[in-house]
Parts: sequence; C-alpha cells; structure tokens
Amino acid sequence: MNLKRRLGSISLALLNHGPALALIAIVLLFTIADNAFGSGSFFSGRNARVIINSAALVAVPALGMTLIIIAGGIDLSAGTALTLSGTALAIAFRDYTIDAQAAGAGTWIALALLGGLGVGVLCGLLNGIIISVTEMVPFIVTLGTMTIFLGLGQVIADESTVYPQTEHLPDWLRYLCYTGSNEERYWIPFLPIPSSGLIAILLGGLVAALLRLTVFGRNIVAVGSSPSTARLCGIRVGATTVWVYALAGIFVAVGALLYFANVKNGNPSDGTGKELEIIAAVVLGGGSLSGGRGSVSGTLVGALIIKTISSGCTMLSIPNTYTHIIIGVIIIVAVLIDGLRNGTPAWLFNRLGRRAD
Amino acid sequence: MPAFVSRCHAIATSLCLTAFLLLPSGCSRDSNSSADATQSVLRIAVIPKGTSHEFWKSVHFGAQKAAKELGNVEVIWRGPVVESDTGSQIEVVKDMITIGVDGIVLAPNQKGGLVDPVQEAIGEGIPVVIFDSGLDDGPEIVSYVATDNYIGGQMAAEAMAKAIDEKGNVILLRYIAGSESTEQRENGFLDRIADYPDITVVSSDQYAGDNATSAKEKADQLLQLHGDSLAGIFAVCEPNANGTLEAIKNAGLAGKVKFIGFDPSDALIGALGNGHCHGIVLQDPVQMGYQSVMTIVDYINGESAEEFQSTGEYLATPENMDEELYQRLLHPPTIE
Repeated sequence: MNLKRRLGSISLALLNHGPALALIAIVLLFTIADNAFGSGSFFSGRNARVIINSAALVAVPALGMTLIIIAGGIDLSAGTALTLSGTALAIAFRDYTIDAQAAGAGTWIALALLGGLGVGVLCGLLNGIIISVTEMVPFIVTLGTMTIFLGLGQVIADESTVYPQTEHLPDWLRYLCYTGSNEERYWIPFLPIPSSGLIAILLGGLVAALLRLTVFGRNIVAVGSSPSTARLCGIRVGATTVWVYALAGIFVAVGALLYFANVKNGNPSDGTGKELEIIAAVVLGGGSLSGGRGSVSGTLVGALIIKTISSGCTMLSIPNTYTHIIIGVIIIVAVLIDGLRNGTPAWLFNRLGRRAD
Repeated sequence: MPAFVSRCHAIATSLCLTAFLLLPSGCSRDSNSSADATQSVLRIAVIPKGTSHEFWKSVHFGAQKAAKELGNVEVIWRGPVVESDTGSQIEVVKDMITIGVDGIVLAPNQKGGLVDPVQEAIGEGIPVVIFDSGLDDGPEIVSYVATDNYIGGQMAAEAMAKAIDEKGNVILLRYIAGSESTEQRENGFLDRIADYPDITVVSSDQYAGDNATSAKEKADQLLQLHGDSLAGIFAVCEPNANGTLEAIKNAGLAGKVKFIGFDPSDALIGALGNGHCHGIVLQDPVQMGYQSVMTIVDYINGESAEEFQSTGEYLATPENMDEELYQRLLHPPTIE
C-alpha cells in the first residue's frame, strides 16, 4: 500500500514536469538516432542555436497566447496579426527610413518600429474590445479578425511582398535571428545564444512575474477559471479581457519584429497557419483550452519541442509528411497524458476506481 | 502547488538548455572528423520550394540522375515543411548548414528572404547554386540555373494571340505575390500581349494562390464577372492552371474560352488533347535538377560556371503534342 502510494506520487511528479521531461526525452531520442543513422550533427551547439531561434519565433507570440488561454480565451488571429504587423514594419522600413548609417537615422528607425509594432498592439486591442463589448465567443471573433488582418495586410502590401532596402536595416535588427559562427553578432559575446532566444526568455520572465506577483495576473487566472465567480469577487471581467488581448498584442508585435528580422520582408499571407503552431506550443506546455491553467515555462518548452522535432526529422532525413504526423501525434499524446492528472478520460478512472474497490 | 510546478519546469528547462548549449565546440569537431572520413562522397543538399508538386519530383529525378552519373555524390532532398513558407525554408537551409553538406542547390521561395541564409552558408564555406527562381543580388552564388521565365511568358502571349485570332478580352491569373519565377512569366505575358492592339487584358491583378482549390475559386469569380465577353485565360503555373481548367469546364465555357497553361499536369494534357486547352508552356525540370547538381559539383572540383544558365522553354500545342520531344516534356520522369 505504501509502495503503491509512493509509485503514485512519483508518477504524479513526473506528470508535473511533463513538458520539460518530454523535451529531454525527445532530444535524447533524436541524438541517439542521429548518431546511429544521421550525420551526427543534431546534438551540436550550432543546431541548438538554430532550434532556439526558430522556437523563439513561435514562443514570443505564444507567451501572449498563454495569457489569453489562461484567461479562458483563444486567439485565432495571432498568425495573421503577426504578419500584418510584420508587413507594416517592412513598409515603414521601405518608405519611411533612411540609410541606417546616415546621420539621424535613429529617429526614423525608432518611429518605424513604433509604427509597425503599434499595428500589432492595435490588433490585440481590437480583439479584446470586440470580445468584451459584444460578449461573443473569442473563437468566432478572432476567426473573423483573422481574415480581416490577412486582408488588411494584403491591402497595405498591395497584394505583394514588401522588400525594404537592406541598407535601411540597422545591424542589430539584421542579426536578431543570426545563428552563424561569427560571435560578434551575438549580444553576449562569450555565449552565442541567438538574440531572438534571449528576447523570448526575457519576456517569459516578465510574463511569469506578471502572473505570479501582480493582482492583475491573479485576476487573469480567476477570470479563466470561472468568469462568474470572478465577477462575484468584484473582478471587472470585461476590462481584464480587453487588457489581456491588448497585452497579447504586444507579444504578437514583438513576434512580428522577430519574423521580420528573420525573413527581412513582409508577406501578409505567411501568417496563415502560424496561429495553430502558436496554440500548439501553449497546449504542449500544459495550457488548458478551458481556461485557468497554463504556464510560461511550459509554453517556452512547448515551442522548443515542436522545433526540436522538426529539426530532428530534417537531420534524420525523415520526409516532411511524416514530420507532420509525428508532431500531430505528440500534441494529442501530450494533452492526453496531461488530462490523466485531472482525471480524464472519466470512463477510465471510473473503471480503475471500481477495480480498486 | 502551481508555483512549485512551474519552478520545477523552469529548472528542468534551464538544465536542458544549458546542456544543449555547453557543447558547441566539442560536437562540431566531431562532425568535422566524420566528414573527413567520408570525404570521397560529396553531399549536396537540393532544396525545392515545396515537395508535393509534380514539377519538383521531376527536378529530384534530374538531381538523382546527375548523382548517379557522377557516382560519388549523395543528394539530400529536403523541402520546407510548410509549403511556400519562407521561414520554413530558411530553417531547412540552416539545418543543411548544420549538417555540413558540401554544397547547397536552392530554389528560393522569396527572392529577398533567403539572401541572409545563403550568405550564412557561403560564410561557412558552402557553395550555393540557385535554381528555378531568382535570388536578390548580394551573395556570391555559383550560378543561377533556370527557365527563362520572361521568354516563357512571351511564348504564352503569342500562343494566346494565335488562339484568339489576335483580338478579344483576356485574363492573366497570377500565382502568389513575391515569387520571382511566376512574376517573370506574368511580366513577359503582359509585355508581349501589349503588342497586339485588339487584345484587351480585362484582369491581371488577381492571385490564384498556391493550390488548385483557391485557383478554381478565383477563376470561378473571374468567369462570373467577365465570362460573357471573354476570349482567353492564361494561368501561370500548374496548380493554378488545374483549378482554372475546372472552373472553365464548370462554367460550360470549355473550348469557347481559349486557355493557355504553364507546366503540364495530367488534367491539362488531357485538355490539350480534347480541345479544352490550347497551349502549355513547358520547362525542363529534369534538366534543371541535373544541371544544377552538375554545376555545383564542377565548382567544388575547381571549375567556374556561367552566371545564368537557361534550361530552355517550349510550347506544346494540340498539333505538336504527339512529337517525341513534347511527349518527354509533357510526361517528365519523376522520383517516387
């Protein structure tokens, strides 16, 4: 009996660190497989940089999505809002800045960033206002704004891709997503982590602090767990919702900056499908779509898991089609395992309970 | 409890990350030594824009053919996981640099977005050949191997003019924004068609998207709008043309509206045979894959290459489609 309880508590502990353990397992698995069948370059510093960079591109907007999901919402427009903001950035850098080396370029660059990022924040704000004023389901509202943002992006981009002049981009922006071997292009000279990854970690820390240390953070969790109870406790549910979406807009905007730094142009239609990757990162990290639960570190790990799998599959020359299948299976299995600690599926636990009696 | 849980997450995560990051030098040295051991085999990464279109499978066939002839070459065939997504293709290029391939052959999804990754590859000592679709100026690439798409577009315009007796309304259905090769075709078509005073282009600002479903939808709408007075449609690539053909059939305009496509598919070849399609501009994807791999291996062996190499462009019509040359181009071998 004692042993049984101990086993129970061990498995509970394992489940609690699920995402991180899964990541370690996946890294191990691919390392072994790559050394046996592949080129042996999966477990290398360079590949770590590449994975961290591509994970950061998903993780930053996913931090905003984590807040939304904890608050019981969803944002299907995150992908197209991101590329709309990225396209605005590209236009600002194409038409409204001068050579980055020229005198006074700094002001123009700051204005371009402000304008481009402002678009992302406005997108979030718009979502929040529509959801809280009309009290419609977030899924529907953001389904609508998803195509609105896509269309807006195509309008401002003239249905094309926006290419800013390379000379207009300051070096720090060009090398935000740099993963090569020139150490001078990293923020910390002796530790070559891509700057995009550092930004993700920094923002992650801020969101974790927000959730844990502020009243607003606790309100978000309360609203997500039960809006009616939150309302009874005197929390202004509508205002909280607006703020959560606006805040998520900031992360979408920073995500757009990273996207722009990565591809160096703005294409509004690149965003379709990105929202699902972002949501998948949150869900893999233990976020619950019914609200009230989600974790910052989990989301960061979730993004790493997705990108580690896709990198590992490339290294092993597994065809893309199977990569899609593997990622899909892992998402479902991860959520299933996560459900076990909350007593779902009910039929299984009912049967187990009966047998124990 | 939740605070404790997430702290554990954080700790585990940071442990994992540090472990990952703290091995840079040791491991890359390992991969170098393994490269030394297999030096006799050249590993060439061939990166298409996507993997699901027939066209790329023929490119793959050509690349394999070159590898087989050369004997000491291994082709690593890898497309972006998300079709026509620049970010995804950038990841593949970076992964190939990580693997440490001996050369990269790339069809860039966007002329601007791939500049820095290509620069990174060249910086790490990996030569790059660009094929099918151009790259912005900057990186010192070995060569650009492609169809002259502008001429292909002009050929389409001439075929169209002939099919509609040099008069009437025509539609140009574009592919997606920012794709260099199809933009060249579109420009070639529009420039050449402008030489015919009695031909009016009634629509040239619609993008069909990268799949047949969205193309059919767009073509449906355009036929609704212009169908009564329409003489011809030019669709600039394969998925685009397949969707357009369906839309023309649905509208009951097959044969009446003259239809020119670019790149073959079974549906289009069938249509060419029964009078629903009046011309297909053809490229030679097998040659493209073959010549690209040959070029990069020659370069690695110390030979220089022409800046631009054309792989030719051809026009199949209902009259010439049974000739041997056109049969080969209409049914290019693919790899399965």
